[in-house]
Amino acid sequence: MRILIAEDEPVLASQLKKTLMSEGLTVDVAVDGAEAQYLGETEPYDVIILDLGLPIRDGLTVLKNLRSGGNDTSILILTARNDWTDRVDGLDAGADDYLTKPFHMAELSARVRALIRRKAGKATPVFSKDNVTFDTRTNQVMVDGVSMNLTSQEIAVLSYLFHNSGRLVSRNELSDHIYQHEGDRDSNTIAVFVNRLRKKLGSDLIETVRGRGYVIKATV
Amino acid sequence: MTSLRARAVTGGILWAVAIIVLGLTGVSSYLASQTQARFVEVLETRHAQAVVAVTNNSDAPDDLVLAIGDLVYQVPFSGQYWQVETDTGALISSPSLDGERLPRPLRRSEEPLRSEFDGPNGEAVFAIGQWVPVRDDVMWYVQVASSLRSFEEDQVVLRNTLLTAFAFVSFIGVLGGLTQVAVVLQPLNKLRKDVSGRWEQEDGLEVQSYPIEVAPLVNDINTLMERNRDIMRRSRRQAADLAHAIKTPSAIMRNELDNLMMQGADMQEAVDALDRLDAQLKRSFARMRADGTDATVGVATELDTALGRMERAFNALARNEGKSFTADYEEGLLVRMDQSDFEEVMGNLLDNALKWAETQVRLEANETADGKIIITITDDGPGIPQDEIAKATQSGQRLDTSKPGTGLGLAIAHDLIHAYGGKILLSKDAELGGLAVHMRLPVGSAKRRD
Repeated sequence: MRILIAEDEPVLASQLKKTLMSEGLTVDVAVDGAEAQYLGETEPYDVIILDLGLPIRDGLTVLKNLRSGGNDTSILILTARNDWTDRVDGLDAGADDYLTKPFHMAELSARVRALIRRKAGKATPVFSKDNVTFDTRTNQVMVDGVSMNLTSQEIAVLSYLFHNSGRLVSRNELSDHIYQHEGDRDSNTIAVFVNRLRKKLGSDLIETVRGRGYVIKATV
Repeated sequence: MTSLRARAVTGGILWAVAIIVLGLTGVSSYLASQTQARFVEVLETRHAQAVVAVTNNSDAPDDLVLAIGDLVYQVPFSGQYWQVETDTGALISSPSLDGERLPRPLRRSEEPLRSEFDGPNGEAVFAIGQWVPVRDDVMWYVQVASSLRSFEEDQVVLRNTLLTAFAFVSFIGVLGGLTQVAVVLQPLNKLRKDVSGRWEQEDGLEVQSYPIEVAPLVNDINTLMERNRDIMRRSRRQAADLAHAIKTPSAIMRNELDNLMMQGADMQEAVDALDRLDAQLKRSFARMRADGTDATVGVATELDTALGRMERAFNALARNEGKSFTADYEEGLLVRMDQSDFEEVMGNLLDNALKWAETQVRLEANETADGKIIITITDDGPGIPQDEIAKATQSGQRLDTSKPGTGLGLAIAHDLIHAYGGKILLSKDAELGGLAVHMRLPVGSAKRRD
């Protein structure tokens, strides 16, 4: 899952990035409104965390521009202003949720997870398929009730496939959603991660459609 | 300070009284002297006639009664008398004297002598007498007298007529004065109404629509209003900027503390202190906002616009999925609150209601016959126990800490509504079973132009 953080305060941006990355999410940071809009328009993010008080182009304008350009990525707005008018402006312009500063990082993570789940059409935070369960809150994966030890890349791949279960996901799409904007992308390594997941979680969980991609069929 | 109207009316009345007193005194004394002169003139003519009659009839004094035959001398005590004393002391007099005698001065003079004394019946009379030579060395004293009664009666009539005329003039003057005061003060009344009506509007008063005497004041008021709006705008912006400047570092500190706690450090006291700091800041900013509100002026928010926005926003909010929010309000309602303040109140209350609601939140708004807007927000959440309702609108009182929040929403709404002279009341909703928030807000009288 790929997240864009549009926040101009470098310390807060790095804290957000650190927290979200520790939860297995792939994170890009934009430091001004223009960069945020450019990345939002060109990269396939799952959630955009958008501070309303951005330099160069304010968050509300970025939000309006993204929505008017047909972008339907889930957007969580951050505002430091007390005014409800700001929040209502944001929500009315198409934001999906808001948080006011200062906030607890745990609340932000929960909201981001909720937005990702909402996109996947899932109401509960736990995915389940046969004997495998994946808890999006803790990134804990269990097979027959036994906790499995997965690397962050493996979790990123598994999480994206679970959130898009029932749909065929190409290697490129997976690569787009687990690598950072400026990261080193190699779609061949995706195959390596999928193979490791099969070894750890059983070969039935992820099906390969040769030459097209992967799919986790209907989950609970 | 005394009102301009009272000053103008009092001043006008004082002037009128002074003018009337002076005028009345002057006119009445002039007319009195004229009347007196006329009285004396008539008596002199009568005296002259008597002298001529005496001169012509000195040989036959008894014919004098016929010679001075004016009818006014025939009726006894008519008030008009004549009397002739011969050198021998014989006395011939008008029948009107009816045997009474007019006194004769001791001084002998050929010049006419004027005197005032009590005449017949004790009535005051004015007399003109003169020693008239009728033959060589023979002098008769010819005297005519007229009662002062008629003269005094004339004076009274004259005075009464003058008083009536001046009273009438005064009445017209006072009416005219009041009309003039009203006309002169009219631009000031218009100014007062315009100022209260336009305080929040961006365009100032139209200087050209006032008289040149008031125009400089109107200019000053425009400057003052603009400055006041500037101060309000600036202080709100500064509060918002300050909030922004403080909150980001606060978020950073909070995250660092969270990290340290996750690593096992005991940071609870620091986190609590930061919570208090944040709550205090939030409440202070809300207070600054409520204090910066000028509730006496004619701002108005259209409920259609504001509630429409809130309805769309809250229904779009991801966290409210599975909960329904419906707003039912008459079209065209206006509430006398600044739109951002109104949205602040509604945002806090609706957010609170949706946070606690199980499935639904309802909003109803309507206007009462006595010109108030009643807005009620109800939810089907757990509500607030009756004995804790008073606590709920106090600053930072979190009645239930199971959901995130600062416990300030109700307090902020309470402060803002009170700043606009409205009322807020909490109760248990009979139908949905959760909290019911009733608000009574002043109705907006005019649409803002901006």
